[in-house]
Amino acid sequence: MDTPMSHSEYEELAAGYVLGALEPDDEHVFQRHLGGCAICEANVRELEAVVGELAYAVPPVDPPDTLWAGIRREIRPEAVRRGALPAVAPGAEAGGRGLRLLPGLVAAAAILLVVVLSLWNLNLRDQNAVYRARVAALERATQLANDPNASLITLASQPGGSPEAQATVIASTPKDRGVLLVENLPPLQRGRVYELWGVPGGTFADAQKALVFVPLRRQGVTTLEFEVPIQPGTVFAITDEPGPDGSPKPTTNPLLVGKPTTA
Amino acid sequence: MRGKAYRGLRDGQLVELVAQKDAGALEALYDRYGRASYSLARRILTEETLAQEVVQEVFLSLWRDARRFDAGRGTVATYLLSMTNHRAVDVVRREENLRRWRTSDEGLELEPDPKARVEDEVEAGERRAEVRAALGELPAAQREALLLAYFGGYTQREVAALVGVPLGTVKTRMAAGMRKMKQALQDAGTEELPWTRQ
Repeated sequence: MDTPMSHSEYEELAAGYVLGALEPDDEHVFQRHLGGCAICEANVRELEAVVGELAYAVPPVDPPDTLWAGIRREIRPEAVRRGALPAVAPGAEAGGRGLRLLPGLVAAAAILLVVVLSLWNLNLRDQNAVYRARVAALERATQLANDPNASLITLASQPGGSPEAQATVIASTPKDRGVLLVENLPPLQRGRVYELWGVPGGTFADAQKALVFVPLRRQGVTTLEFEVPIQPGTVFAITDEPGPDGSPKPTTNPLLVGKPTTA
Repeated sequence: MRGKAYRGLRDGQLVELVAQKDAGALEALYDRYGRASYSLARRILTEETLAQEVVQEVFLSLWRDARRFDAGRGTVATYLLSMTNHRAVDVVRREENLRRWRTSDEGLELEPDPKARVEDEVEAGERRAEVRAALGELPAAQREALLLAYFGGYTQREVAALVGVPLGTVKTRMAAGMRKMKQALQDAGTEELPWTRQ
């Protein structure tokens, strides 16, 4: 629901925004405004610095040595200066792509968790904050899709896109609705938005707008609902479009594209 | 102390090295901000294990994609500590039992800290004193709104319910409180503050 807001109302939302205290609706409204408002952008930048400073109000506590040891263990496989790091066993990597969900919402949820967590290179043995965040997002997405036969479609980064970006669509054909899960999408230029498209048969000239969004500033998985005609074979794609309302048809090359797997 | 070779480098330079998968640079940043990050996470989460997980994820996030850091948007310290706050809040929102801080300046000890470590005195100690002083000068209602959100992870609507005032009042209090904090920290006027530093 788009209710016109005065600029002073947007300015008031800025404090809650940088504190991560806005309700989701307010956060999306503010973020869309933020993309095209230099005044609020500058204000947010200054308030974010205040938020960073608030950390120093806390009495200091020394971290245990095991904390850095855990970080070191995780980064070692990629580290350029491996010689400076003691030998530790790298974490197990999980793999696998694509799935048609089994009937039954509980089973669907469980499989979703396993598949998407593995797609997102999560070490399943790490019961950490990211794990819990992703589980919570997937549980919510599964409830939102409300279709045990929904398809799970992983969107792959295209040339020019960010390799860190992760996107998955849970699509319900009979309901013509779905849920988009995104993480690590790169920040947009001012005045730009991301747009999700449903592409019948993979023909981009026929692409239909499913969702306009901007990545939340908060780290972690973002869950977004959308409605668009979905047929067997509908491809999903994300492009970078002019804000705040996106484009009626894609005007840039897709950054992420996902095709449904065949049963 | 780790990472002697990196001591002379500025934070931004270290982030550039982290982007090239230089583990020593990440270690140097951890030396600079790991303690502040962990202290904040412990304050929000209270549980040591959860706090460690959050801090680990903050630094691993920087490692995985250092290009997400935008020097034009703020300092490395702001980036890391804001991320710590957001991730810790995400956890606390999922685990309601952690929200034991009904009034969030409880345990914060806004008066000067007599037990600050010697090495902490120089920069972090001064900064801590400034931030505490600025918080202490806020009207109690504004401070409460800010701290319930920042340390308790409460949304504006939840703060309104907790405090028993309309949502609009909470929005106004948070906005006013943050505006005053910004002004107070700018008035403290040191070159150490993020908006005047590289």
